[in-house]
Amino acid sequence: MNWNKGNLISALCLGAFGIYVISVAAKLAYVSEVGPGPGFFPLWLGIGLVLFGAGLAFAPRTPAGTREAGKSTISQTAGRALAGWSALMVAVALLGRIGFLLSFVVLTIFLVVVLDRRPALFAVGIGIGLAVAFQLVFVVALDVSLPKGFWGF
Amino acid sequence: MDALDNLLLGFSVALTPINLFWCLLGVVLGTMVGVLPGLGPAATIAMLLPLTLKMDHTTAIIALAGIFYGARYGGSTTSILLNIPGESSSVVTCLDGYQMARQGRAGPALGISAIASFVAGTIGVLGLMLVAPPLARFALRFAPPEYFALMVLGLAMVVFLAGDSMVKAILAMLVGLWLATIGTDLFTAESRFTFGQVKLLGGVDFISATVGIFAIGEVLVNLESRGGAEIFKLGKGLRNLLPTLRDLKDCRFAFLNGSIVGFLVGALPGAGATVASFLSYGLEKAFSRHPEKFGTGVIEGVAAPEGANNADASGALVPLLTLGIPGGNTTAILLGGLILWGYKPGPLLIQEHPELFWGLVASMYIGNVLLLVLNLPLVPLFAQILRLPYYVLYPLILGISIVGVYSVNNSLFDVWMMGLFGLLGYLMRKLEFPAAALILGLVLGDSLERALRQSLMMSQGDIAILVTRPISGILLFFAAVILCLPVVRAVRYWRVEAIEREG
Amino acid sequence: MKHRAMLAAIIIAGLMALSGEHAWSQEFKPSRQIEAVVHTGPGGGSDIFARAIAEMLQKEKLITQRMQVVNKSGGGSAVAMSYLAEKKGEPHTIGFFTGVWVTNPLTTKEAMVTVKDLTPIVRLVLEPAVIAVKTDSPYKNMKDFIEAAKKSPNQLRQSGGSVTGRDNLMRLLIQKATGAQWTYISFPSGGERLSNLLGGHVQMMVIEPQEAGEHIRAGNLRVIASLTEKRLASLPNVPTIKEQGIDVTIIPQARGILAPPAASKEVVQYWQSVFDRFAKSAGWKQYMEQNQFEDGYLQGPALGKFFDELTVLMRNVLKEAGAKVVR
Repeated sequence: MNWNKGNLISALCLGAFGIYVISVAAKLAYVSEVGPGPGFFPLWLGIGLVLFGAGLAFAPRTPAGTREAGKSTISQTAGRALAGWSALMVAVALLGRIGFLLSFVVLTIFLVVVLDRRPALFAVGIGIGLAVAFQLVFVVALDVSLPKGFWGF
Repeated sequence: MDALDNLLLGFSVALTPINLFWCLLGVVLGTMVGVLPGLGPAATIAMLLPLTLKMDHTTAIIALAGIFYGARYGGSTTSILLNIPGESSSVVTCLDGYQMARQGRAGPALGISAIASFVAGTIGVLGLMLVAPPLARFALRFAPPEYFALMVLGLAMVVFLAGDSMVKAILAMLVGLWLATIGTDLFTAESRFTFGQVKLLGGVDFISATVGIFAIGEVLVNLESRGGAEIFKLGKGLRNLLPTLRDLKDCRFAFLNGSIVGFLVGALPGAGATVASFLSYGLEKAFSRHPEKFGTGVIEGVAAPEGANNADASGALVPLLTLGIPGGNTTAILLGGLILWGYKPGPLLIQEHPELFWGLVASMYIGNVLLLVLNLPLVPLFAQILRLPYYVLYPLILGISIVGVYSVNNSLFDVWMMGLFGLLGYLMRKLEFPAAALILGLVLGDSLERALRQSLMMSQGDIAILVTRPISGILLFFAAVILCLPVVRAVRYWRVEAIEREG
Repeated sequence: MKHRAMLAAIIIAGLMALSGEHAWSQEFKPSRQIEAVVHTGPGGGSDIFARAIAEMLQKEKLITQRMQVVNKSGGGSAVAMSYLAEKKGEPHTIGFFTGVWVTNPLTTKEAMVTVKDLTPIVRLVLEPAVIAVKTDSPYKNMKDFIEAAKKSPNQLRQSGGSVTGRDNLMRLLIQKATGAQWTYISFPSGGERLSNLLGGHVQMMVIEPQEAGEHIRAGNLRVIASLTEKRLASLPNVPTIKEQGIDVTIIPQARGILAPPAASKEVVQYWQSVFDRFAKSAGWKQYMEQNQFEDGYLQGPALGKFFDELTVLMRNVLKEAGAKVVR
């Protein structure tokens, strides 16, 4: 049997998740005095997740799936994407402290320098240029409030 | 004819310079708002309400309604160009629209979206003009069992979103349905899956989920390769920047489909543009001569949902203007506006204030023309966005996403959620799970569960109520037929395989 | 020696001057935009109420800065209340409360902020409610409805909002007082509640007279009782529920203003004076009449007492209703 590694991992994760949902749903009332209770829907969702998860694990390989035969679906380049994601989360964390504009500049610099390997000064230029554009379009023209940092912007 | 007289009255109101001006302003602002993910027409209208108090009331509602249906036009732009839905009703447009853009057909996609919106918008206004009161009365016959059946039909559309793997689509939909259960249970006031967080008591915000999964997910996927994804080729020459006559011919059914489905679903209070767009996409695919091509960049796959979410705007005005019942968030604010200006929306509004109703109807015709005239020439301009170098484009997308999501509730928590959904979107992309199916589950989950429980409350637990009522019975029958399709297909596939193996 | 005494005198004088300055400190005047927090989304009841009031305050120049409505919806009032609590000490933020702000913390564990944590400013209105049925239904008064309900228990249906809301709680109180039983179906939006009644899928609902007004005028709805102590001025022919022999506590639906916790005396004074003058304005009186609100102006310690009494009442009613009370 050909296991598709990606499918197997997702099936296991979803199955485990389904079991978690069932466990929480079991604590809620299945039936309330006026029909199905809050536990009804999640319980069946959990069961569905487990069943279909199992179906996924044992799913026959469709022709399209043999594209990356043997290769793991989470490959090296995922590292770059995850690095980008981490940078985004750091920027979100900073939003409350140093405000949107600065966090955005930091994020842009990271993306351009680290991931795209361009010169730092260039990145700073892009970052500041875009940040100014955001300020003009959103704050000035549209009156949308952006997260502010210590220094009020 | 009565309607014609009224329409002439309406045009005489709508064509005054000041009303024309505000109509134009409204639709332009609406388009801009629709383009930006996050900022929605509801919040924009709410922000502008104080300004309208100084205006003539008919002018005010013309302007605000312009924002409402203008936003539906704008929502498709980022969906097609960047795979980022501007609103949750534009999610379906991403499926084929983005693929068309990747094939160098961004222009035709944007163009057909504007044209479909125009056709549907016009048919919608026609509907509003001619059948509003009887339609409103018909819509009153929809009780919870009918809503349940409608939602099941909507979920059955997952069959049409499946691509290669039905199992994955269903799993994605189940996750979406689970996300919808997060929050306070309406009937027992108990909280589910809130992990102790106050901010989750209201449930997961659609915008965080949609923008996170689509926008952030898209950027993350593209970050994998250095140099980003190939910059999309933009066809040269006008022929490649606008839909061809052939395209228009292909979309004949889609125009009609989108208009009717959108208008009817819009008239039901509580069923939104998102349901309408999924339904019309599914319908289009079901009756298409080449269903397997959907999802790879088929122009009808853009025309149908885009038409639907525009006709929905006219449909949503039906219960509002004939009964004073708002259908959703945006119409609720329009209702608030009417009340603020001293009107009492209800069954007598049209009779007592004909210039308001008919002036609005006439201005919607004009507004739709304005939007078409504005949007078509802008298509080449919008398409230029794709020319931006990726090191500008990706930070720009991330920045717009953050601002858009933050602006909904001024909440950093929402932005965090967006980040988490971004990771989810990325993983789903890598593991080939269809994101649209998850959104389908998320959008419909609430309404589905609620309608089911309300129905069973009505019947004191008797489940037969769902099938014995004519309307719900018919809708459920259709849903069952659709859900059987993949089973039929699978059986046929196994049969063929079995024959091949033996041969 | 003399120098030290001089120094001490100067220091003491300085301190006195400073504290004196504090005692005579300028009244609070807002220096930037005011945030008005509501717990509904745009278009919801509180949102529209707050926007109307903001507009009137600005028009009558009772406040010098702009008032911006901020929607913090979620978990009933939980998100709005916890947001307000976070803004402790911030004089430029106020919250528009309704009855939900009192009941929500009683039933929801995660809603940890209660009205006692916030600073009461003023109560503005009491929103009355009435019981409405379709005009072509056989119920002409409460007696008809109760009798029909008794004949077929749980067959009649009422549409309403959340199960811990006023609609359902009044139903439970009336059920207890009369022995009748009918089903309650929750609909989150007012539009759906009304459309289900008009469509004949439910037989009655509790509704605000302002919401029902147009439908009464158009002849679609009939009001069979008012849930108030006295008859409503706009519906003089509709007997109150007590007049019809059903003795129940009327649960008030109040609307008013709260400030973040630990608001200073000057801030409280400022807001109270603003709303004091506001309540006397002609525009406000007209608004109340248009929307059929009862004037519920209440301020100061009387307001605190109102909250306490309401909390006790709601806790008892909720317990009787079988809802899980966590606080």
